[in-house]
Amino acid sequence: MIPVVIPPDLWEGDAEGAVSAWLFAEGDAVRAGDLIAEVMVEKTSYDVTAPADGMLQIRIPAEIPFKRGAIIAAIG
Amino acid sequence: MTATATILPNRAKRNLTIAKAMAEALAQEMRRDPSVLVMGEDIAALGGVFGNTRGLLEEFGPARIRDTPISETGFIGAAVGMAAVGMRPVVELMFVDFFGVCMDAIYNMAAKNCYFSGGQSAVPMVLMTSVGGGYGDAGQHSQCLYGTFAHLPGMKVVVPSNAYDAKGLMVSAIRDNNPVIFMFHKALQGMGWLGTVQGSINDVPEDAYTVPFGQAAIARAGRDITIVGLGATVHLALDAAEELIANGIEAEVVDLRSLVPLDRATVNASVKRTGRLLVVDEDYQSYGVSGEIIASVVEAGTVLTSPPRRIAFPDIPIPFSPTLERPALPSAEKIVAAVTDMVRGGR
Repeated sequence: MIPVVIPPDLWEGDAEGAVSAWLFAEGDAVRAGDLIAEVMVEKTSYDVTAPADGMLQIRIPAEIPFKRGAIIAAIG
Repeated sequence: MTATATILPNRAKRNLTIAKAMAEALAQEMRRDPSVLVMGEDIAALGGVFGNTRGLLEEFGPARIRDTPISETGFIGAAVGMAAVGMRPVVELMFVDFFGVCMDAIYNMAAKNCYFSGGQSAVPMVLMTSVGGGYGDAGQHSQCLYGTFAHLPGMKVVVPSNAYDAKGLMVSAIRDNNPVIFMFHKALQGMGWLGTVQGSINDVPEDAYTVPFGQAAIARAGRDITIVGLGATVHLALDAAEELIANGIEAEVVDLRSLVPLDRATVNASVKRTGRLLVVDEDYQSYGVSGEIIASVVEAGTVLTSPPRRIAFPDIPIPFSPTLERPALPSAEKIVAAVTDMVRGGR
């Protein structure tokens, strides 16, 4: 199981981010490098890519806030 | 002599939001054609408040990706002039609700100059504009106004419901020599803060392709009733169709995709098969899209087994309060109730 981690240095301070859109559904097969989610922090958007090939397991659904460093999904 | 076969791997599925699909279409057309440029409020440094011009400033620079002052009168008028001298401007009217101050440039100039000049002066511009409510932004930031633009001759009007169509319709819009109004619904942009309809995110080929205007899509096949929608209401209709299965009702969902030109043939053919018609529109009810669709079917002489119906926004300013706004909007629940009544009640 490979975690999809929001890098702790992606943004500064205590601001919370949220997935604005999951681009694949729970259980979908993804390939390393596929764009799997878009994360919004205030007015900035970041692209999240799959770290490995495998099946996507979403840990934090869209629009639920999290801090930087959070594990938002796992690839298994 | 041996031939070496080139075997391409199957293309990986690539899901995009409508926002990204629009940005990709713009970027690809700008690479292909140096006369294409984009102007609007906050479209450059910010990448568009709805995300649809993200990354363009970095690639194409401030001469072709231009942030404008807050004067739709000025920059949309300028776009009409640019189009007249051979450029292909794409301008963003951030909220369609702001059309009042720039409508003369749109409907008296852009829409009519080709006709007035006997075809000598085309106006190849695209006006992209956000529509729709449902997130408590009140009466000046939540309207659809599909009917307002589709009513006036001289412009093409398109409304994508998913990322695949958004990219293909945008490429078609930029290549078209007529003014095209590209109306994108905020709830389908994938921006999170506006809510994100999962069904709008779908597989988008990387290469440029066109989705031709005037071709509606059958979003779901069914035999008992035709539900016609556009933009966000397509997804409400699809949700309702899924629920209706439990009631033993198979609904067909037609996605108009383009209002001008309008694919009356596909709608008529569908209603001919099902015998029933429900139109779901988030624009105001009276004098609009829903009435036009119903009239088209009735005029074609299609035999209906129950009177046609529509679910649209009531003829009132859109309330700010979510408690007041929500019940006024079309919803899957309203569609399920109407369809069940039409099919079971025979009315």
